[in-house]
Amino acid sequence: MDILIYGFINSATLALMALGFTLVYGVSRLPNFAHGALYVLAGYICWLLLNRLGLPYILAIALALAFVAVVGGAMYQLILVRIRGMSISEIIASYAIGLAILEGLRWGGLKGGTFTLSAFLEGSVDLLGVSVDFQRILVVVLGALLVGLLYFFVNHTRLGLALKGMAQDERAALTLGIDSDRMAVASMALGSLSAAVAALILLPLGSIVVEAGYHVLIMAVAVCIVGGLGSWTGAILASFVIGFAQILTTVYLGAHFQVVVAILAIILTLILRPSGLFGKQKELEERV
Amino acid sequence: MKKKLRLFVALAAMLALLVPAGAALAADPIVIGCPLSTAFLYGWDAERAVKLAVEEINAAGGVKVGGEMRPFKVEVIDTRDLEPGVPVSEALMGVEKLILEKHANFLIGGPVRSEAALAAMALLSKHKMISILTTGALTPKYHATVAKNPEKFKYLFRISGEVVWMLKGEMIPALVAVGKEYKLKSMYIMVQDVAWARALGDLIGKIMTKQGWQVMGHNVYPTGTTDYSMGLVEAKKKGAQVLVLAMDMPESAVLLKQWYDMKVPALPFGTVLAAAEQPGFWKATEGKGEYTLASVVNAGNAPSNATPWTMKFVNAYQKKYGVEPEGYGTSSSYMAVYVLKDAIERAGTLNSDKVAKAIEQTDMMGVYGRIRFDPKSHQIIPSIDPKEGAVGTIFQWQKGKRVVVFPPKIATGKILLPPWMKAGK
Repeated sequence: MDILIYGFINSATLALMALGFTLVYGVSRLPNFAHGALYVLAGYICWLLLNRLGLPYILAIALALAFVAVVGGAMYQLILVRIRGMSISEIIASYAIGLAILEGLRWGGLKGGTFTLSAFLEGSVDLLGVSVDFQRILVVVLGALLVGLLYFFVNHTRLGLALKGMAQDERAALTLGIDSDRMAVASMALGSLSAAVAALILLPLGSIVVEAGYHVLIMAVAVCIVGGLGSWTGAILASFVIGFAQILTTVYLGAHFQVVVAILAIILTLILRPSGLFGKQKELEERV
Repeated sequence: MKKKLRLFVALAAMLALLVPAGAALAADPIVIGCPLSTAFLYGWDAERAVKLAVEEINAAGGVKVGGEMRPFKVEVIDTRDLEPGVPVSEALMGVEKLILEKHANFLIGGPVRSEAALAAMALLSKHKMISILTTGALTPKYHATVAKNPEKFKYLFRISGEVVWMLKGEMIPALVAVGKEYKLKSMYIMVQDVAWARALGDLIGKIMTKQGWQVMGHNVYPTGTTDYSMGLVEAKKKGAQVLVLAMDMPESAVLLKQWYDMKVPALPFGTVLAAAEQPGFWKATEGKGEYTLASVVNAGNAPSNATPWTMKFVNAYQKKYGVEPEGYGTSSSYMAVYVLKDAIERAGTLNSDKVAKAIEQTDMMGVYGRIRFDPKSHQIIPSIDPKEGAVGTIFQWQKGKRVVVFPPKIATGKILLPPWMKAGK
């Protein structure tokens, strides 16, 4: 039962970490390698607003989310737009921005484990004999809610449908008057917002450390590759595959193999099915 | 006229007092290179402590080298060796840069990670560079390597503790004592996947099994792990009464928060538990880390009255940095500068061979007791009595304070159990 419960929690955690990355790639085909840095940035901004300016938690969260969304949009508008379509340059540029953010935070004083955010809910409960704290239950609930909201946004709002159109066929979308760059800005802002939401839900479980940026990026990339680049369904399914595999590995092999699981999942996917579970970019070759 | 004369005498006296310090500051500085992983507790605390000692020494006139007073100067390089993946090559580049580009006369500090410190040994010998290891590198292999080849490694010293003594001299006796008091006899081991912590986990399991304890589980976690649920669930399920923790990564705070939230009825007993060592731990965990035990290696890294110098150091650090000494590299890094000053003055030169010999003959009272080095291994001689050697410190977080509970000679309180845990039968 503990494997089931904590496997589910771990999977929801991975899904939260990866959603923003998947969203940006799915819509604008931009691999945002600054995703992990934006995650840490959100946590740190929220911490600053709480501890330096003394703002109420809710307001600090709202401002941190808005700030990171703006940073994400600005990243595209100021830098990535110039290299749009050159995939290697996109990776290098976004990774460099991520590095600059993370190392800038480190240089600015984000060191050690004393930067923390309070849990939204204190206490724990026994679920079928397994002790689980409320914040982790909240991770699952909010994770599901975020997926639901994003689904609704993409399928039932004007902007969402435009983004979806861009993802399906950019040229066709252009002929219908959808502005590609504006959509890319919107997707970057939305993806960054997702990273920030994930950060503000997950970081109260631990502490805000620079290294989390690299960890989140690796996990997001692993989930997206296994799920199929740009596929939401694939990302969620991959989160569960990797999430449960990590917990099983911890129980039966040892915790220090946990990171290996994600890397191994990437390698196996690239060998057996390069498009991932639901990806389409090499569909034809794979069928042949 | 008399008034003028008095004023003149007073001015002359002031000038006379200022001249030695001024002369020292004008002289060529003695460069102390500090290879430290500065983004982590055991890097920045050491850097701050070295700078504090240097500031005190320079303010008092500097170091007497032969007939000349010379100031110390500090050059720090971030080795980044505490980061996940243990980038040893980066640490070695940092050490070499300090020697070749920054023209360090002596090294104090790291590299911090055992793996990197061991790798740097040959490099330091090649450059005849005296190095006093003050933080990290708890592996017994370091001083064993010096002892095996004393001629080659005669320039290398370690002024802080090492894992075997910390285990056999401090942790085991403290565990045995708490076991007797509360009738505890089972443990669950959770350690970080780095050399010193793996060695400690294995050793403690073996020793405590011989003492009649049961090891209910043994988990090794990669650096940067942020979820310990499964280990804690298992520890709870199997009825472990003590969690033995050895982790020098900031993420160890996550473990303790989870431990509290899950109300695991086991006493967290950590050694070199980076997150819990920091004075800010209480606020960071919102009190969830209460009852956590941690070792800060040497006395002075948490307030105690080990020697008359201990609280003087604690207060000076707090005055300068606004926080109590933060981690286990603090008092040792501070003392290393004083030991180096003493050795240089006795040697009367900066010559590596002569200063190394003088450090070998060090015998002084310091912040954490009597400072002497084993002549063969160059490891500081430890003790549980500050009059005999360097004493360590195990403390427990109680009501927002770090209360020293071991060794008995410097203890200021006793170990308590969390309210959701009962003594054994």
